[in-house]
Amino acid sequence: MQSDSIVFRGNLRQLLGNVESGEMIPKLQASHAPMCKFFTAYYVINGIRHVVPLVHGPTGCPLYMSDFVRTRECCEIRGVPLEPTACTSLDESNVIYGGEGKLLEAVKEAYAKYRPDLIVILSCCCSGIIGDDVENIAREAERTVGCRVLALRSEGFGGDFRSGYEDAFRLIMDLMEPPKTTMKGTVNILGARWGPTPTEFDWDLDEVERLLSEVGIRINAVIAGGCTVEQIKHAREVELNASWCYDWGQKLGDRMQERFGIPYSRTGQPYGLEATREWLLGIAGPLGLEKRALEVIERETRAVEADLAYLKGALEGKTAVIEISEFPGPIRALSLARMAEEFGARPVVVNVHPYTIKERMPSIQYILETGVNPEVILTRGLFHLGSFRSSKETEEELEAIVQGYDDVVFFGNSGRFPPCPVVNLTLMNPGFQPQYGFRGIRNIAALVRQALENKDLPRSRLFRGMLYGTRTK
Amino acid sequence: MEHGRSRRKTPEPEKCRDPYLRCAFHGAAQTALGVAGSALLAHSPQGCEYLVNNAFAWQACDYMEVITLCTKLCVDEIVHGGEELLERTILEAKDLPISALFVLSACGPEIVGDDIVAVCETLQPELKFRLIPIECAGFRGSQYDGIDIALDAMLKHLVNRSGEKIPNSVCLIAPHANANPTWIADLDWVKGVLAQMGIRVVATLTHRTPLAELEHAASAEASLLLSHDAGQKAADHLSAAHGIEQVCGGIPLPIGMTNTERWLTALGERFDAQKTAESMVVEGERMAMATCRRKWPMARFFYRTPAAIVADATVGIPLVRFVTEDMEMTPDLVALYTSQRSVRDLLERELDDLDLAPTVVYGTDVYRTRQALAETKPKVVFGSTIERHASEGLGVSHVVEVVKMMRQFRMIDREYFGYTGILDLFECVQNEWTMAWRSREKRYEARW
Repeated sequence: MQSDSIVFRGNLRQLLGNVESGEMIPKLQASHAPMCKFFTAYYVINGIRHVVPLVHGPTGCPLYMSDFVRTRECCEIRGVPLEPTACTSLDESNVIYGGEGKLLEAVKEAYAKYRPDLIVILSCCCSGIIGDDVENIAREAERTVGCRVLALRSEGFGGDFRSGYEDAFRLIMDLMEPPKTTMKGTVNILGARWGPTPTEFDWDLDEVERLLSEVGIRINAVIAGGCTVEQIKHAREVELNASWCYDWGQKLGDRMQERFGIPYSRTGQPYGLEATREWLLGIAGPLGLEKRALEVIERETRAVEADLAYLKGALEGKTAVIEISEFPGPIRALSLARMAEEFGARPVVVNVHPYTIKERMPSIQYILETGVNPEVILTRGLFHLGSFRSSKETEEELEAIVQGYDDVVFFGNSGRFPPCPVVNLTLMNPGFQPQYGFRGIRNIAALVRQALENKDLPRSRLFRGMLYGTRTK
Repeated sequence: MEHGRSRRKTPEPEKCRDPYLRCAFHGAAQTALGVAGSALLAHSPQGCEYLVNNAFAWQACDYMEVITLCTKLCVDEIVHGGEELLERTILEAKDLPISALFVLSACGPEIVGDDIVAVCETLQPELKFRLIPIECAGFRGSQYDGIDIALDAMLKHLVNRSGEKIPNSVCLIAPHANANPTWIADLDWVKGVLAQMGIRVVATLTHRTPLAELEHAASAEASLLLSHDAGQKAADHLSAAHGIEQVCGGIPLPIGMTNTERWLTALGERFDAQKTAESMVVEGERMAMATCRRKWPMARFFYRTPAAIVADATVGIPLVRFVTEDMEMTPDLVALYTSQRSVRDLLERELDDLDLAPTVVYGTDVYRTRQALAETKPKVVFGSTIERHASEGLGVSHVVEVVKMMRQFRMIDREYFGYTGILDLFECVQNEWTMAWRSREKRYEARW
């Protein structure tokens, strides 16, 4: 491919260094917008049952969450009942004169209407700039209603994607009561949120719950993946915390360890045999259940022996070009890189944006510590104006990259058309979920098989034209 | 049934709401995105870009043709002002192949006082495309207010003052303030009707509208508003500033037999096309009846079944007559998202004319809707995905999802307007009826 199309070629550690030193500016171009702090804070808070997230702002911010998260994702897909996405509907007059009085009344109304277990006031840009003291209102309101009232400063401009969920998890810790007992053999799973982003689905959560159950480990709460306030109150009574998505759970795990002394199992996402084994033993070991875990691992491994053998045979000596795009997301893509290496392939990760590196820096550093340091290529198209979906330029660059390798397999999603087998790892196809754990191995083996066996079948001109316009080469 | 206006209520102003409508920023974005060959720059934190993306989908934009940008304001810009960043972003976009760049300001920059109008005026000489600032912070009102704000900016910035009137011509206004998830088909139906009557569409405000069309909007003889929720201010402006009279004002949009006939007749009378209108009515009614005769709509089994309509005024008000007359159900609840005077007047006239006295909730939110459903106990609800979930446990048998695009359940745009629209609505009822009858258990297992 044209060398002027390559902006960066090196390994993940070097890319991280370039971002840290400021050599690669971790700012997305004008048209690429990840979620703001408010959104990710809301995602986490929404993962608690019978909570009223009370948005102190105009109607635009909560309605996105109402439509997308609560009604569509939660009610339509996950069987969660419809619960409110309340807001104070700040108007021009409130912006001028302040909205604290309205907020106090709104909390009382919210309690009277919905009888929730918890009310969380979320500030957004308006209330943040005009300086409404949401914490004080929460304290005052709590004296007059029958549930806890917390406040979270979540102004959209106030931080990045990461800061929203980290602050929300920190707030949740205020609900955790001093332990009255220790629940033997019980853990919390950290880092979930519900409704989820489309990069996160509960099949994977089901798989990790199944594996823990096989070992005899109980779960107190999946925080905050549909847990109750009562479960959160008892969260300090567990023996250990574990994350199911290291990126989102790590901060809460670290903080609970620092503040409450609860040990935290640091492991990555259980993609492939080694990572799954590590994940399970990382939890079972500290609980004294290593032997049982090894028995489960042995039994489960036997059940997927044929799939493991197939994956090794199919990927050995090949180059796995892995693209970080919408599905799977960047951390999953790096977990895939580790899995590809485990099965004998050489991973090459394409187009992980410096912004992503910056906002997920702790997770990236952890991944490097575990020895995962794949080759990374960033192309020019990644930095141009245009949305992720109109990435015609990056499609052409990807096709050129793939042509530079012999015996290459593409790991990404079927929205790409490189001239090689395409392993469709989208999370939008329920037929091949979960991707975590032993069931994940079976599904990924099936996806690799269909990619390799069908590599010569014609791709859809229709879908290609839909994504990149007609008459692309 | 209890009759009388006592059952028609407007909610007391509430402090805690779970509203249906988005903010003004969203509505303005929706309107700006209807201009073809343009781009939209959200001067906002990155989260507001999601509202733009949603508006993008609602306008059925093609990302190959319409580009969206965002300044992604952070704390620095809120503290020190974001005008410099706005300037830089506009200049970054200066080589885009577009005819116009709409610059929309969100809550944050408006509160801190960023002057997007001044920035646009300063940079305009350096750019090949038009810069149109739209001050539409979310706190300025609902999405319908945002539509009015954006239309106002467009009409004042872009429409040429001079130009002769084109005989038998109209300017179409704001069809996207319409919760029909395939509203584009309503617009197409209207254009088809106008073509049949020999009426020329000078400009559409806004859907895939070239900038040149907007510039010539003042040459229309009449305006035709396709929404009961937004766009009236634009019609009034066109009338006051350009002498463009509004037609078909004050009557429900053409959903159902009577509404369609009334609307077509009014249009025909204004443009001296009565005969065409009459033949469209005759042929349309014949087609709808013949189709029903062949297909047997299950809606006929709902005779006088208590029903609820939860919708925007654009779809909700015409549905009242359609549900009552054509489907023979009885509306016991009408809950509308909006509450402006024109909406109230129109609905009240319809209810009086039909001699109906349902519970009416203006400016409803999800909580109010749930309460009203619990009180009125309808068996059929015409609404959205929200009501499907909000009516759980209340004894509602069927929720016919006809409004609000929460999920894309149709690939082909199908109108609600006109005679095919009647059949499309029947189809929605048909599908819901079928799903409700589907057995959820098997009595025994098959052997194969």
